[in-house]
Amino acid sequence: MSSPPVTGPAAVPEHRGGPGPARFRPRRAVPAGHARPRRRGPLSYWRQYLAISPFYLIFIAFSFFPVFYSLYLAFQRWDGLGDMQFVGLQQFKFLWSDPVFWLSIRNTLVIWVLSTVPTLFGALVLATLLHSVRRFKGFYRIALYVPNVTSIVAVAIFFGAVFSNNFGLVNAILGTVGISPVPWLSNPWLIKVVIALLMTWMWTGYNMIIYLAGLQAIPTSIYEAAKMDGAGPVRTFFQITVPIMRPIILFTVVISTINGLQSFSEPQVLFANNAANANLGGPGQAGLTTLLYFYQSAFLNNDYGYGAAIVWAFFVLIIVLVAVNWRITQRGRKA
Amino acid sequence: MDLSRRGFLQAAVLTAAASGLTVACGGSSGSGGTKNGKDLTLWYWGGALSDKVVAEAKTHFSSSVKLTTASIGGDFKQKLTTTLAAGSSVPDITGIKGEDMASFLPNASRFLDLNDLGFKKISSQYLNWKTKLAQTKDGRQIGFPIDIGPTALFYREDLFAKAGVATDPAKVAELVKTWEDYFQLGVELQKKNPGTYLVNNISSVFNIAVGQGTSRFIDKNNHFIGDQEHIRAAWTTAVRPYTLGIDAKINDNTWNAAVGKNLLTELGAAWHALDIEQAAPGTKGKWRVCANPVGPSNQGGSYLALPQQCRNPEEAFKIISWILSPANDARGFTDAAIFPAAPAAYAMPAMTGPDAFFGGQKIIEVFGPAAKAIPDSYEAPADAAVMAPYMTELTNIEAKGKKPDDAWKDAVSQAKQIARRQGVS
Repeated sequence: MSSPPVTGPAAVPEHRGGPGPARFRPRRAVPAGHARPRRRGPLSYWRQYLAISPFYLIFIAFSFFPVFYSLYLAFQRWDGLGDMQFVGLQQFKFLWSDPVFWLSIRNTLVIWVLSTVPTLFGALVLATLLHSVRRFKGFYRIALYVPNVTSIVAVAIFFGAVFSNNFGLVNAILGTVGISPVPWLSNPWLIKVVIALLMTWMWTGYNMIIYLAGLQAIPTSIYEAAKMDGAGPVRTFFQITVPIMRPIILFTVVISTINGLQSFSEPQVLFANNAANANLGGPGQAGLTTLLYFYQSAFLNNDYGYGAAIVWAFFVLIIVLVAVNWRITQRGRKA
Repeated sequence: MDLSRRGFLQAAVLTAAASGLTVACGGSSGSGGTKNGKDLTLWYWGGALSDKVVAEAKTHFSSSVKLTTASIGGDFKQKLTTTLAAGSSVPDITGIKGEDMASFLPNASRFLDLNDLGFKKISSQYLNWKTKLAQTKDGRQIGFPIDIGPTALFYREDLFAKAGVATDPAKVAELVKTWEDYFQLGVELQKKNPGTYLVNNISSVFNIAVGQGTSRFIDKNNHFIGDQEHIRAAWTTAVRPYTLGIDAKINDNTWNAAVGKNLLTELGAAWHALDIEQAAPGTKGKWRVCANPVGPSNQGGSYLALPQQCRNPEEAFKIISWILSPANDARGFTDAAIFPAAPAAYAMPAMTGPDAFFGGQKIIEVFGPAAKAIPDSYEAPADAAVMAPYMTELTNIEAKGKKPDDAWKDAVSQAKQIARRQGVS
């Protein structure tokens, strides 16, 4: 393997720009007279690659390879142990005509909207409030962030107990004011509301911290100018804060979309399967999200090919939604 | 450092090649090894075996082998499947849950045939229908039965008495000879005990009604039969309590709170007694057990199996046949409410004693005959997956008030699709 002279005195100014007039030359411009303007190939950086390789090796073994292996699986029928059987696009054909798959997509989207909208709006409002707080700043920040680092299983069990149909806390409180028990965990819509509420509770603090960081980067002079022009707090919020925060909002929207569409543990724990009913997702499968359906198909029904097809179809959907999100949030930026 | 496009592509190709290598290497790690190893590992899950018996097995066999046990939590089937597929660190002895057995049978070659090791000689000690469920069509025996789950009817003696209904188990069994008798009794009981229900949900009725027959959703020739008369009848039976208003429609964990309060009866397997006892300790002495309507069925019950990689098959087989000998089986019942698959155990003192939770009733007198009367049925590998939509639709009836006939149509069409997906014709 040939390696170009790295530390040769002549090589330094052309590559690094060096001090003096070289700085004003366009990068990579080769001075006349030099015969071989060799670029350094990636292999000459092998030490650096070696240094970062642990991450990549682990990534390849546990993420990269499984991802593409699942793509391969999507065209097979496999029970996890026996021989694989190539079935072409059959799994995707099944998918297309599987009402449960479409139900799971609907559930996921509804839960996503029901959780993301209040989460992001609430986070922005809380961040603005917290930004103007003078005392106990640290306390508020920690208090609002704690739900995000709480074990999701613990939270789901807690929500399950609080919203329990027959003996839950919420229904008990409603009962004291004369409202008859609400079937939180069996009505198809209320199931989604409870799951969305759980996710909102967990993720508002996380987004709030990100927004707060963004708010602190806005110079106070802008707010002072707005105040001078007679803008009230609400108007300042919508016409100063929100437009400046647009890139950060975009970031949180994309992240929330990816997270929100991957809801799995919440319904999985809330509606843990019992002996009599092996299905996941609760009554009427109203809490069956796409990932939960994937889990059920692959790991409970031993239909790994179909499970792989579900996640790949879902991957396409997430890409589309993120692209749509991007366009909506970006719109008007250039105008 | 800026990476050129070519450089990036090179890196990508290298990456792909490396991952290819990983795969190639991963596939060839099957170890030959000797078959008289001194170390044996046993995988089971909490409550699958009596911990006391397992601990004794360790000392009993300590002269010949060192037995290490691991209680595996979480999704046992999934972990076993992954380990078997990987081919290394495979346990020498493993538990397999009854409901998962059917899905392991197509891959019977991953396990040793217990008949070669001497199971044939002792198989008559175990219930034939249970043994058969762990047997391939060509007669390979991969599972050694641990326990079974014969079903019966648990009922609240005090609430029955309040309604002026007979409370003696034998007499109640007479009253509920058919499903219709049982439901009519429920209507009567509910009138006298307002706010109570006969069944917790209709899925449990369906489950037992299907299990009472000899055929399920897929026949031995791998044809879908879930739309036929026997399943339709079980469905109609299951929907009855719903239409009569004696269904509590409990499909979540509120069962724990409901069982001691407003449930008149519980349909369930022998192990369900422990669930009731734990959920409603306050109702001690108020429950009784009798034969369930029509006849018993089975719910659950596990096996021990020896994977192909077992390091010492002879010794391993000796260990499992010792752990699961009728005498030790009976102890499993006392220690962990594991209902033995060996009928000889039913006559042993460990099982014939009165049960205080059931007001001193000798419950083996109900479960013993039930265990022997369970029909011989065929469970296909895809059976559990195909059954799932029926359960879902029954829950839909309860949760959304879906019309039973529509629910039936949807259940059948979905079950058909799942069956096709799993290669059933």
